[in-house]
Amino acid sequence: MNPYDQRTETSRKGAQGAGGVALISIAALALWLTRDLDPGTLSAMGSGMLPRILAWAVGLCGVSLVISAFLHSGERLERGNLRGPLLIILAIFAFSATIRPLTIGSVTTPGLGLIVAVPVAIIIGGMASAEARIHELVMLSLGLTPCCMLVFCDMLNLPIPVFPQAVIETMPNGWGAKSMLRISALIMIVAAVMVFYASRKRAVTHRGERE
Amino acid sequence: METFLSNLSLGFSVALGLQNLGLAFLGCLVGTLIGVLPGVGPVATIAMLLPITFSLDPTGSLIMLAGIYYGAQYGGSTTAILVNIPGEATSVVTAIDGHEMAKRGRAGAALAVAALGSFFAGSVATLVIAALGAPLTKVALMFGATEYFSLMVMGLVLAVVLAGGSVLKAVAMILVGILLSTVGTDLETGDERMTFGLFFLSDGIDFAVLAMGIFGVAEIMRNLAQPESRDVVRKPIGRLLPSREELRQSWAPVLRGTVLGSILGILPGNGAVLAPFASYAMEKKLAKDPTRFGKGAIEGVAGPESANNAGAQTSFIPLLTLGIPGNAVMALMVGAMTIQGIIPGPQVMTGNPNLFWGMIASMWVGNLMLLVINLPMVGLWVRLLKVPYRLMFPAILAFCCIGIYSINSLPTDVMFIGLFGFVGYFLIKCGFEPAPLLLGFVLGKLMEENMRRALILSRGSLSTFITEPISAGLLLVSVVLLAAAIIPNIRKGRDQMFVE
Repeated sequence: MNPYDQRTETSRKGAQGAGGVALISIAALALWLTRDLDPGTLSAMGSGMLPRILAWAVGLCGVSLVISAFLHSGERLERGNLRGPLLIILAIFAFSATIRPLTIGSVTTPGLGLIVAVPVAIIIGGMASAEARIHELVMLSLGLTPCCMLVFCDMLNLPIPVFPQAVIETMPNGWGAKSMLRISALIMIVAAVMVFYASRKRAVTHRGERE
Repeated sequence: METFLSNLSLGFSVALGLQNLGLAFLGCLVGTLIGVLPGVGPVATIAMLLPITFSLDPTGSLIMLAGIYYGAQYGGSTTAILVNIPGEATSVVTAIDGHEMAKRGRAGAALAVAALGSFFAGSVATLVIAALGAPLTKVALMFGATEYFSLMVMGLVLAVVLAGGSVLKAVAMILVGILLSTVGTDLETGDERMTFGLFFLSDGIDFAVLAMGIFGVAEIMRNLAQPESRDVVRKPIGRLLPSREELRQSWAPVLRGTVLGSILGILPGNGAVLAPFASYAMEKKLAKDPTRFGKGAIEGVAGPESANNAGAQTSFIPLLTLGIPGNAVMALMVGAMTIQGIIPGPQVMTGNPNLFWGMIASMWVGNLMLLVINLPMVGLWVRLLKVPYRLMFPAILAFCCIGIYSINSLPTDVMFIGLFGFVGYFLIKCGFEPAPLLLGFVLGKLMEENMRRALILSRGSLSTFITEPISAGLLLVSVVLLAAAIIPNIRKGRDQMFVE
């Protein structure tokens, strides 16, 4: 139905086997995780009954997919370019590690707040596109971050840390957090506009040199 | 009749309140925006905005989310006509003849007929919802746990049958969805199920996290793999008012499309998606000169667009009356309702008449707004089409992260959208559709609860599902439909319909 689907249709048959294996592994994981749960009886269902039935059913679907993949000699699974998806995940992880202090094992990340987390996510994530241009991404993050700060933290008052913790601690008394937010948002917007004009000027002179 | 009118007037008194009016407008505007932009769907957007609805009242938030959904249907047709890329999956058909019209300089007429047809269809569909809401709710209120379980089974089976692609894969996705819904503390026994002993999983998987992961993030990953090409029509859009001849040609297709879409939308599967395809096929069959189709026949825009909008709107009926979501957007609506503490189902109409009728009335108000948003402002939307995807997706990504973080202030939630996104991407690569998974997830908890209750009442006898007449009937319908989808002969016909 989706016009894009047809292009990937050839890879689907080989992918069927992979999909089947994935289902079987999900089923096996669920069965292993629910091994200690009491299935109970039909008149008094325990916590383990439904998950185990479902896991068996999922496994069954997986097995039939694998079998049908063997019967219809399918093509190989298309080797998709993993660079994009991995960079997207990396961007999301970078956001969650920088937005506020996060402890994983013995490591604690410094909480850097929205003002750092959003640009980091935009620039890392933006590189996922094959046509990414770094100056565009810098401009985008300089423009978008203040908008997010104003909308989410100022207008909607969501409890999201804006500034790095270290900055908040050294902030002189009497400085309102809101006014600091607005001032820094303004500075970033001005910077975004400046980068925009600078890059356009450069593009114009480049074109001029070529001609 | 009298109660019908008093209900509608109650609805309008709610929908015309200043705040709700504003939220409906906001929803329609955002909906049109994302409908116009290819690569951003209503599902991902609603998932993204779920966190913001926390701070709104239930009626207002549902009005806004509904506006996004049908606004996207309008916006999708603009892109289909002007760029030949369906902004939404449902406007694939509109692109065929609509873009041809645009190439001949009649884009204005195509846009106007699409918008006017959609408005007419939307108005009729609103009346259909209002008329069917009360009686269907009465029927649903008689349902006990046994019937409810069977009804949900039928809803899920219909979702499988009406979706394109492999039946087996769709069934597997639904099962995985239900399995995911059982993660977390079991309410009956207090046992922790499949939590890996992790604290943040003991409440179960968060709906917003799952939805945003497998729709928002996975969609970005999928779109990145596809090279972008947009050929925006260079010709002027032309006069917006269709000529008398064009109006004469389109009124009958609009009527037929509205009826067809309304009926298909009511089905508790994803019938609305079929509506434009079915309407296009019908118009082509009925036309005196079918060869005109594909070369810019206005009937090929008027019929499918009306059917599309009517179906999109009547697909709210199963959700509002029975509590059964038909498609991924409706599943998100269930999520939004649950977040607000409202359990979707027949009790919504009796318990929250303001919400029920206010939402229905707001749909008509929203359709009227969309007419204004779309036609005079079409130039603005065209300019938006020039924003390349490489700049759009980092912004979407940032919004997703902020939105999810703001729900619980948990960085782990943000990480989970990345993980679910990757899982969703992998599933898409393997040929699975993520929508059935979400449907299964949303209905999973309710299904388990009702199954337990039904089995307690019957003292553990599974035969209760076939001896109770209503439940038996529902299950019989499900079996027949499923068999029909699997039996090769009929299946060929079904596939053909999707190809067309």
